[in-house]
Amino acid sequence: MAYSDKVIDHYKDPRNVGSLDKNEKNTGTGLVGAPECGDVMKLQIQVNPDNNQIVDAKFKTFGCGSAIASSSLATEWVKGKSIDEAMSIKNTEIVEELSLPPVKIHCSVLAEDAIKAAISDYKKRSEG
Amino acid sequence: MISDDIDHFELMGLPQSFEIDSEKLEDLYQNLSLEMHPDFYGTSTKEKKILSEKSSVMLNAAYSTLREPVSRARYLMSILTRGVSLKKDDLPEDFLQEMFSLQESLDEMLESCDQSALCKMNEDLLKRSNLIQSNFASLFKKLETSPENTETLQQLQKHLNTERYLRRLLDRINSK
Repeated sequence: MAYSDKVIDHYKDPRNVGSLDKNEKNTGTGLVGAPECGDVMKLQIQVNPDNNQIVDAKFKTFGCGSAIASSSLATEWVKGKSIDEAMSIKNTEIVEELSLPPVKIHCSVLAEDAIKAAISDYKKRSEG
Repeated sequence: MISDDIDHFELMGLPQSFEIDSEKLEDLYQNLSLEMHPDFYGTSTKEKKILSEKSSVMLNAAYSTLREPVSRARYLMSILTRGVSLKKDDLPEDFLQEMFSLQESLDEMLESCDQSALCKMNEDLLKRSNLIQSNFASLFKKLETSPENTETLQQLQKHLNTERYLRRLLDRINSK
């Protein structure tokens, strides 16, 4: 199966790889997995608490090219967005942007889940 | 000729069960491949040849799926869970965390070519994988008497999910 140019671009040159200190204030960490393929994806955000804007995002994914590209794109998209805007990112938008084939749609679902998990972790931690 | 919707067990002439007689599987495979081999249809009509090729492909798929316990378990699960809705990602968060950490440690080991650490990890993972596989026979046996038992199916699904994550790590170690 051939990867699209955009997937290859993100795979070869992934954006925002790395990690944020998950104990740091104003961060949120989402760790999700896809049991059908054994992929595991971590996506982290750093939020400005004054205006709820995501100022930084990092990811690390152990998985196929599409999973890496989906999470790389997800970090690009969430940066600069408010957490509410980021919450509304749909996996179908990732599918469209990366031209993912049907068998790789679960990779985009994983990225959407990771964004949501990171935001809910941030909310939980900032309330608590 | 073989019909398209026949399952792997039926095709091999084996009962639909996790526990199979591996020697019998080998024998059946040998006999059936001789029977179906396209080489024996050299002088036959084009149609017969195509059918023979198709049957050989199906036979090889059945054999390679059934001979290995994990792929056999996955295949049998796919049959048993038709129309049943199971929680697909029934894994505790600390398990995912552990898998993520193991992947990160593996990154370091591979980078530094730390052979002894890689061997140790490989051994540990195999042990865990074997331990998981040792549950398959009894769980599938349970399903033979009560096929609608969702709890047992869910348990099996969880073991298979866990095995998939371990397999990913093992594949990474062994592809180097």
